[in-house]
Amino acid sequence: MKPAPFEYVKAVSVADAVALLTEHRGDARLLAGGQSLVPMLNMRLLRPSVVIDVNGLADALGEIALQGDAVAVGALVRYAEIERSSLVAERVPLLRHVVAYIGDRQVRNRGTVGGAVAHADPTGEIALVTLALGAIMRAEGPDGVRDIHAEAFFLGPYTTALAPDEMLTHVIFPPAAPAFRFFERGRKHNDFAVLSLAVVGRPEPDGTWRDIRIALGGVHDRPVLAAAAARALEGRRWDDALVRDAALLALEDCDPPDDFRASAEYRRHLVPVHVRRMLSALAGGHE
Amino acid sequence: MIETVPILVTVNGTRHVLDVEPRMHAADLLRGMLGLTGTHVGCEQGVCGMCTILLDGTAVKGCLLLAPQLDGCEVETVEGLATGEELAPLQRAFKEAHALQCGFCTPGFLMAATALERSGRRLTREEIREELSGVLCRCTGYEGIVRAVERRLTGG
Repeated sequence: MKPAPFEYVKAVSVADAVALLTEHRGDARLLAGGQSLVPMLNMRLLRPSVVIDVNGLADALGEIALQGDAVAVGALVRYAEIERSSLVAERVPLLRHVVAYIGDRQVRNRGTVGGAVAHADPTGEIALVTLALGAIMRAEGPDGVRDIHAEAFFLGPYTTALAPDEMLTHVIFPPAAPAFRFFERGRKHNDFAVLSLAVVGRPEPDGTWRDIRIALGGVHDRPVLAAAAARALEGRRWDDALVRDAALLALEDCDPPDDFRASAEYRRHLVPVHVRRMLSALAGGHE
Repeated sequence: MIETVPILVTVNGTRHVLDVEPRMHAADLLRGMLGLTGTHVGCEQGVCGMCTILLDGTAVKGCLLLAPQLDGCEVETVEGLATGEELAPLQRAFKEAHALQCGFCTPGFLMAATALERSGRRLTREEIREELSGVLCRCTGYEGIVRAVERRLTGG
């Protein structure tokens, strides 16, 4: 047996899971799909005293539903369900698109949207998309429910704004600008991203672009928005020079790490190259 | 002292009542407690796919599933494919297409491909490769494996 010993408890409701988190404050982990947590347990990178299995809460957390004009994705919705959802395909196509870049078939059968967001891997595709689309994380704790904007949610590597006694219950995608492009560069097929990148925007009839969001993964201690680059592009008609300059600005909002997958220098090289290409593709309406 | 967890799990149609340690993973349970050593263990961190089994009909990695999570579930392993000495059609296709050399990865591929076969989807060669990319083979170069699955999925 690979992991250090822990106690296993099955939560019977969200309130029960929250009560268990409160009881074991900071020393318990929630188990959803387990595609990140269990490897970390097996490698003993994590040694919680208690593992709280929330897989029985699909009735409360396993739905993809329209809430007004937003799409609420339950924390227990698995990637494979995102792949099959016509609601997601129609309303949140970027989310549908990136799922193909996550893990492999077996991982997508188990891994959950909520797990991906709460795990907050700096290279994670779902976390990137929540930033790119301005999603809202809904969490439940002992004091009730609160909503946290994606921009305020990711605090560092594997670190979020969730309190130790709070549980993520839904990821809510409000209507977003319709056009997007996504790019990912990894060392091998469906490996962790060296760079992942989503650009989102709304082309206006007068030829300008609005609601630009550029999200970067793998090039900072958390997924980040390239805010300076987006500001430079907002409300303007784009030409090659503007796009090139904006792409360089993307470096202002990230501090790429050096690790065994890629050097910081290589990542810094990739960022403006691929931001420029994705912006050009977005503007040109091609890949 | 960590308490064991009582579970009721059906494996290849046989019900088992077991007491499991929470930190045991499903592949170890199958191998160590039930003697079903057809499910192989490679990396134990969800990368190699050797331990792929079907959990309520869905292909999953046995090393990323805790034994207590099997409570109330139906598990299928490679031992459930053949009927006595008679290989399942997918196994025969593997044999005919020379889809194995050392055979270590074969149970993982067979279970991933069994789920694909049952889905009834018609897949292109590229799609088959993508669907099987969660199982690694270090000796065949995948051609025979993809050919075997392709033949099965196209009714060959």
